[in-house]
Amino acid sequence: MKRIAIIAIVLLAGCTRNDQDSKYLRWVGDAEPDPEIDASDFQLCGSEKMVQQYLHFGQGLQYGGEKTALRKRFEEAYRPVETAQSGWIRIRFIVNCQGQAGRFRMIGSDLDYGEQIFDERITDQLLKIAQSLDGWAVLSKGGNPRDYYQYLIFKINNGDLTDILP
Amino acid sequence: MRILLIFVLVVVSASLVGQPNCNAYKYSGDKLKYKACKAVVKVKGHYQFSRAFQEALDEALAIDSTFAYAYRIKSTAYLKSGDFITWKKLMDKAVKYDPEGELFYRASCRYQFFRDYAGAIEDIELLDSLIDYNIGYSQNGDYHLNIIKALSYKAIGKPDESLQIFERQLSDSTHSVGIYDYLHLGVLYLEMEKFSLALRALKQQALENDIAENRYYMAMACKALGDKKDYLENIKLAKEKYENGVKMFDPYVEKMDQIFLADIMDAMKIEGF
Repeated sequence: MKRIAIIAIVLLAGCTRNDQDSKYLRWVGDAEPDPEIDASDFQLCGSEKMVQQYLHFGQGLQYGGEKTALRKRFEEAYRPVETAQSGWIRIRFIVNCQGQAGRFRMIGSDLDYGEQIFDERITDQLLKIAQSLDGWAVLSKGGNPRDYYQYLIFKINNGDLTDILP
Repeated sequence: MRILLIFVLVVVSASLVGQPNCNAYKYSGDKLKYKACKAVVKVKGHYQFSRAFQEALDEALAIDSTFAYAYRIKSTAYLKSGDFITWKKLMDKAVKYDPEGELFYRASCRYQFFRDYAGAIEDIELLDSLIDYNIGYSQNGDYHLNIIKALSYKAIGKPDESLQIFERQLSDSTHSVGIYDYLHLGVLYLEMEKFSLALRALKQQALENDIAENRYYMAMACKALGDKKDYLENIKLAKEKYENGVKMFDPYVEKMDQIFLADIMDAMKIEGF
């Protein structure tokens, strides 16, 4: 029994060390919690390692009123910004088992897919609207509501919002 | 339809992992690629987003940094998580080392995932210039690449070019009609205010794959032609099909010309339903 326990500890230590040494997190696109930017009242229902991707549920993007309602929220609230900046902005976040969204992360690129920092007047608006969305569906597996990653991609053309994906 | 698509996705995902024929490299004398290919096989059983999957591919690329296939399958998790920056870097490498084999994937993903229409056209035209055989289909099998090119021309505001490509491709005797080809052609005619041609194409779509979208656009064409009876019939059918899940579907993104229930309800409201 003692030997088994020692082997288990060694294996576990090995796994932990490998995980820490790796440049990858559990999954591509995972976001670790960051108390400096994350809302303190946002909680996962399950553990970090159980967070799914929206595409795992095979239903596409699930929002109350469908994509029409989601698009309307941005069309009504976003004000075009006078700038020559164009490209894509992705906001990725987690929707928990109660349909609440949190842990928002953002990346941006120009039209050649090169990393680009957009004008704050654009990103602040998009982030604020994204954080205000309240229609995310609760998605379940085996009858159990799960936490999942969702993302939105915004196409920006000279400061104007021209499309929302996925 | 949705179950079928999910099944196809699973099969396609699995085949992406199990696909490389390492012996082909062995017998062509490319020992390095053979070794890298054998390393890629280690991804089997690992989820494409996972650390183990990504690390196995890094190992393969450390053996042979010109192994295009490894870059492509490494890129997929970034694509599906919306990380266009990393995805494009990886796919640029795949295309650099095997343009003839990898351009189809970069082109169709640029169209499908990022609505990068100019980029998709550029890639498809480049592929066309490199090979003298059929340029083939998108990575998910929904479209021939020439149909993606046509749709991309429409999206960048060049409907005449789009129509020319559509008509040429659909009249090619070797073309296998896609599940949405005639729907998109019908919508294109509709947008060009060629209502009778739109109706004809949409009726053809109904024969191929009768979904909520073609009924909705048929209703719009009938309305424009002043045919109220068929308008009402089609808009009701569109709603029925939509509510039964007989509609366009992509588990990752919204498709071009896809409609939502609100579109149908708005059309019904206008008519005083």
